[in-house]
Amino acid sequence: MSAVAGERVHAPAPGRGRPAARVAERGFLWLALVPTFFFLVSFYLYPTLFNLETSLTDLSLFGLKRGGDWVGVDNYVELFRSGDFRRVLWNTIVWLTLAGVGVRIALGLALAFLLNSATLARWRLQTVSRVLLIVPWATPPVVAIIVWRWLLDPRVGSINSALISIGVVDQPIAFLSTAGWIWPALLTIITWNTLPLVALTFLASLQSLPDELVEAARIDGASRWQLVRYVYLPHLKPAIVVMILMSTFWTFNNFVYVWLTTGAGPGLYTNVMATEVYIQAFINGRFGYSSAAGVVMAAIMTVFGLVYLRVIARRELQEERS
Amino acid sequence: MRLRTLFATVAVAVVAAAPPAALAQQKTITFRFNDPEAPQLRAALDEFEKRNPGIKVTMQRVSWGDAQQQYLREAAVGTAPDVAQLAFVWPRSFGGAGALRPLDDLITRPGLGMKGWDDFFARDLAVGPDGKVYGVPWTTDTFALIYNKEMLAGAGVATFPRTWDALREASQAVYRKGGKIGWGFPTGSCGTPTIWFVLNFYWWSKGPGLIDRTPDGKFRVSMTPAEIQEGFDYYNRYLQEGHNPRSSLSYCLWGAPEIVEGMLAGNMAMASVPDTVAIEIITKWQARNPGKSVPFATSPHPAGTNGSRTFFGGRMLGISANSKNVEEGWKLIQFLTQPDPTFTRHYTNYTPAQRSALDSRSWTPELAGYPEQLKTARSWGPYGTGPVAIPFMWNAVGRAAGSVFVGEKTSAQAAAELHDAISKELAKNQK
Repeated sequence: MSAVAGERVHAPAPGRGRPAARVAERGFLWLALVPTFFFLVSFYLYPTLFNLETSLTDLSLFGLKRGGDWVGVDNYVELFRSGDFRRVLWNTIVWLTLAGVGVRIALGLALAFLLNSATLARWRLQTVSRVLLIVPWATPPVVAIIVWRWLLDPRVGSINSALISIGVVDQPIAFLSTAGWIWPALLTIITWNTLPLVALTFLASLQSLPDELVEAARIDGASRWQLVRYVYLPHLKPAIVVMILMSTFWTFNNFVYVWLTTGAGPGLYTNVMATEVYIQAFINGRFGYSSAAGVVMAAIMTVFGLVYLRVIARRELQEERS
Repeated sequence: MRLRTLFATVAVAVVAAAPPAALAQQKTITFRFNDPEAPQLRAALDEFEKRNPGIKVTMQRVSWGDAQQQYLREAAVGTAPDVAQLAFVWPRSFGGAGALRPLDDLITRPGLGMKGWDDFFARDLAVGPDGKVYGVPWTTDTFALIYNKEMLAGAGVATFPRTWDALREASQAVYRKGGKIGWGFPTGSCGTPTIWFVLNFYWWSKGPGLIDRTPDGKFRVSMTPAEIQEGFDYYNRYLQEGHNPRSSLSYCLWGAPEIVEGMLAGNMAMASVPDTVAIEIITKWQARNPGKSVPFATSPHPAGTNGSRTFFGGRMLGISANSKNVEEGWKLIQFLTQPDPTFTRHYTNYTPAQRSALDSRSWTPELAGYPEQLKTARSWGPYGTGPVAIPFMWNAVGRAAGSVFVGEKTSAQAAAELHDAISKELAKNQK
């Protein structure tokens, strides 16, 4: 054992200096945290508490000056008894979030494998395909929605023209007005606009996989499916988990795609949590009820947030250990 | 010496930078305008500024869809514009919310409109729950049916239908003849859907409205679920039979490009629109087809046992409760309610909401259906003065109809739920 290796170097533990220095250091830390606390309290804590308080009143758009009267949990009772709200929950959780995120993750994985494939590299198409992939992502949602609404239009839309010309359908389909087609059409628009981020994240993760691992598996006789199952997917797992959680946040809260594409209709067919909060507050003028819906929405998101924090914390712990 | 030069330079700069006396006394007021004719209105405001050198007007723009909630939120914190353009049915609820300044002391002054306050109509809608006046009726309009004479004649419809069943048959005939849209009304859902209007036209022509006032002064839902359902079924047949396409579910506004361009391109035979949109259709058609005779005409909506019933729509002007420029704001309202120059040179597609102006307005032959429709138009009345806010009913009716059109609910189910929702809202607010 060398002398250097055998030396025990004692770095001063944080806060173990002289008392005056410790106080100064702690003071500086608090001072440095003040701006962060200020913003957190002003823009997160206060609005959250204010919203919670509003949800317990009958505050209306026409009574903003007067303020609302205390109604206790009436808004929550009405919310959970409402058949429309159950429909809203179903639309948000099943269609918008589960189906929307599921499709995005599955297609993102498929696209990442395609972009990482040797075939694309052999044809020198990797750069072009990656640039093309960025185009939808760079398109603002409002523009994407307007373009897709025209594409899906039954009278002038090119999608219907193409389907008719190749004989898939006889009559144009009103994608955004026919019950069975509205959600798939809506998810198509959301997926088109948001898929690139998912695919590029998976691609980056795939490219960080050491070639030796793949080579070793091949030498051991692994089939393509076994490569995917036992080499690629375990490597991609952290990225997949993070993307599922992040996509869930973005999708669950999303307002713009549904509102601009269908206006939450026809009827309330595509009404989701975010559009319900808007409709109740700014169209029906019921701020109290809308706030209650907002609180329920925030509560559901908090559960996702806790799962996310747990996953991230566990990963950091594993990284520290390794 | 240097110091003196410096002082002199600063003094000159300060004098140069100081506004002239007239500008220093100039007051700037804000005017919220939501209609599409912003350049035309700006020209009228420029003329107002010329006549009133001490007042500068800043025009603010908000879409109609957001105008109500935007104004009420601003009013709650004291930042609403000095003068605002309001929908006909807003002053009562806005006044009740404390968002508008009472105008009782101002409307008695000379210089308002052509013949003073009594010449304005829809004054009942300008009165708040406390009996005070909160708005000045500015413009008025109503919906009528604009139709393509050639398309109807080509489908074998010689005279324009005057009953609801005949209208549906004419619409169907156009579709059967050439696959074109018959009556293309928007069926989409949004905060301000058109289906609300056409459903009410249907219901009113048969008799009761959704909300009516009883002799004891109370309000009640005066339609049965079956009567509501009848309206849903009537319009749903257009979609089921295909002469109003299902794509109409993807737009909701009466002036949507799908309507205007559909009429212009000859893909749609009939549309229910306010006179401003009819003028837009005719003007654009003339510009695209110079020298040709216009194929359009207009007609009142079909009549039922209660006649042909649409509503007096329009705009009002109000002064915000937080305005510190009341005198200047009132001068602007006086100016804007005079037919000349606002309506004669700038805001020409609109009609002042004054009896004298309406009586003296000349309509082109194509627009002859509008004055005829105005004769039987009704006020929103109990809808505007009752305890259920119109935006609530507007949205609820649009959503209920949408759920029928998309096949999510039966018309009976949607009608029962709508009846229940409005009854509950009424009971809650009429306590």
